[in-house]
Amino acid sequence: MRVPGVISRLGARVNLTPVMAVSLAAALVFAGVGLGLYNEHLSVVERERQGATQAKILAASVAAPLAFDDVSTTREYINALRVNPDVEAAGAYGRDGLLEAGYAVLGPAPPREITPSPPRLEDGGLIVTAPVRQGSTILGSVYVRTTIEAWPRRAVRYLGIALLVLMASILVAVLGAAQASLREAHGKLKAEVGERQKAEDALRQSQKMEAMGQLTGGVAHDFNNLLMVASSGLDLLDKTNDPARRERLKQAIRQAIDRGASLTQQLLAFARRSALRPEVVDIAALVGGMRELLERSLRENIVVDLRLGMTWPVEVDASQLQVAILNIAVNARDAMPVGGVITVSAQNEPGEVDRVRLSVRDSGTGIPPEMLERVFEPFFTTKAVGQGTGLGLSQVYGFVRSSGGEVQIQSELGQGTTVSLLLPRSAKPVPESAPPPAAIPNDREQRARVLLVEDDDSVAALVCEMLDELGYKAMRAVSAAHALDRLASDGPFDLVFSDMVMPGDMDGLQLAQEIARRRPELPIVLTTGYSSAAASASAEGIRLLVKPYRIDTLAAELAAALEGGDRNSASR
Amino acid sequence: MPLLGRRLRQLVLGALLGTVAAHVCAAPASAAPSLEYAVKANYLYKFAPFVEWPPRLFAQPTTPLSICVVGEDPFGGALDDAVRGQTFNGRPIIVRRLAAVEPGSPCNVLFVNRPTGQSPAEALKAVAGEPVLTVTDGGRGGDVGIIQFVMEDGHVRFDIDEAAARASGLSISSKLLSLAVSHRRTGA
Repeated sequence: MRVPGVISRLGARVNLTPVMAVSLAAALVFAGVGLGLYNEHLSVVERERQGATQAKILAASVAAPLAFDDVSTTREYINALRVNPDVEAAGAYGRDGLLEAGYAVLGPAPPREITPSPPRLEDGGLIVTAPVRQGSTILGSVYVRTTIEAWPRRAVRYLGIALLVLMASILVAVLGAAQASLREAHGKLKAEVGERQKAEDALRQSQKMEAMGQLTGGVAHDFNNLLMVASSGLDLLDKTNDPARRERLKQAIRQAIDRGASLTQQLLAFARRSALRPEVVDIAALVGGMRELLERSLRENIVVDLRLGMTWPVEVDASQLQVAILNIAVNARDAMPVGGVITVSAQNEPGEVDRVRLSVRDSGTGIPPEMLERVFEPFFTTKAVGQGTGLGLSQVYGFVRSSGGEVQIQSELGQGTTVSLLLPRSAKPVPESAPPPAAIPNDREQRARVLLVEDDDSVAALVCEMLDELGYKAMRAVSAAHALDRLASDGPFDLVFSDMVMPGDMDGLQLAQEIARRRPELPIVLTTGYSSAAASASAEGIRLLVKPYRIDTLAAELAAALEGGDRNSASR
Repeated sequence: MPLLGRRLRQLVLGALLGTVAAHVCAAPASAAPSLEYAVKANYLYKFAPFVEWPPRLFAQPTTPLSICVVGEDPFGGALDDAVRGQTFNGRPIIVRRLAAVEPGSPCNVLFVNRPTGQSPAEALKAVAGEPVLTVTDGGRGGDVGIIQFVMEDGHVRFDIDEAAARASGLSISSKLLSLAVSHRRTGA
């Protein structure tokens, strides 16, 4: 049944509570009863009026015969009323009140004697009397008794109204109950949706952790290699004086450390717990930056081939996209037990809706057609117990769908599998990335005084060396409280360079806020290895240097801070 | 009043018996005629509500309705008894007894019964064309007024000369006309 728009809109606006419904139903019943009573009253009044009219007509017609004792004529007039079936009895009375002529077709005969009285209900009929007068001369009176509709007949007449009222009341009550239960269901549904949202968030995080787990093995192995390079490089440095060899060793150590830093940055960004936070990204840059990560999480016998052209920007959650690519790559790796090539390509795909196609192709075993339909189902896995959770591709599917995109999968047994993410083009431009660090100032004459706040002795010693190398005069404090003491007692400082996470009541961020309050002109640079702490510092608009950093980055950041440049241009 | 009504009905019955007695005995000295006249006396004032006089006659709200008896009064005290306490459209009703009538006599209802100074015809002629409801006793013969009492089956009935009424400027209610003997005979 189609409901007209106006009514459905009205219905949507009316908020019928059970109490309101019951009240409305009661009001309906009351109104119905009231209407019935009023109708009944009206019908009685109408009956009385009819009876009175009948009596008046009779009185007028019997005036002369009654006055002149013409009983037969009086009887004629009285009997004329017999044609009216509503009249049960009628009588004419002389001036003395005694019956002259009368009849009754139903019920008792007219009384022998009457006195004038207002209409009344008696003997199941309505009794009306009227004086017989000519001019102002009273000549007698008449008596007319008319039928009153029998109770059952009246009841039947009101039964219709009663039924209608009853049905309407029931309808209203049922509607109220229905709406109440609907509202209750709606509340439950909302609560459930909220629960599901939480569960989905938890699932997404666990999917990320799953990917992290896949990474850990490779990364740990890789890290050990890096540490090996650094450690052995340092050993060899001590044993040789050949400048060329020393330079080579230093280069190797530097590269190992750079790769390690890059890896930890990726891991931190990856593990960040967050809801979907879409940002406009350049796929080539994003995926290009994952090369290290992909190579570490795959095996040596697998070649990663990135073919990333210039593509349109897309608006997605960057870390989720990285997780998705990693999940697909891990699946590709597992599909290639004897090694092979994973090709990641990105290209524009114009159409009704412009999209960017990001494909990951492997040269593996392929997926049987009967399983192809199920690979996106959560917990569906072809891997052995303990090797996979079956959440990888479902993360890919969920992420792409919630980003307004589409996932396609093509596979041929023995030929390999291609998973394509079709992401809608974004109209927004990719935000400009931070400018590269400025040139190292090497002004040794300056000897600016820097207060270094660092609880770790070995780190503090190294950073002091770096500061000294850069021409700063560094002094160290071991905690925030200590730093405030030294600021107060040890004369003017030109800059405070503080770690963020420190023992004690106050951390680096609070220290920075306290200094900003006491000495607003004193520049502050914070440093940390934790991404969450870094985010809060950025939110506060405080300069931040992310650990580990190189000496040239440190130089650029401190120089910029001393020059009082834009505090928000923290390099990361 | 109820008592009087009850008595009147007895009088009607009495009149019937009396008439029979009069025929049998031919002795007018009985009490029966006075019973018959008690009914007629009662009727005399009851005609008034069914008759419409020209409004000028009752210009004053206190102007009484005057019922005149010219000639011998056959009612005894019955007429005075009948009108006692009665009103006509809120006006008092008075009874005048006249020896003779002349034009302009203050009568609204005039019962002509063997005037002493003039014949019934003369009395009727004296008020002819005036708005006077003349009533004659048909049982006694002679000239007839607008309303004439007749006896029928022992009941007091009357006949009405509507043309005469119109000529006198009176209008008589059709309710009364329908009770007239001639009207009933012609069979409405």
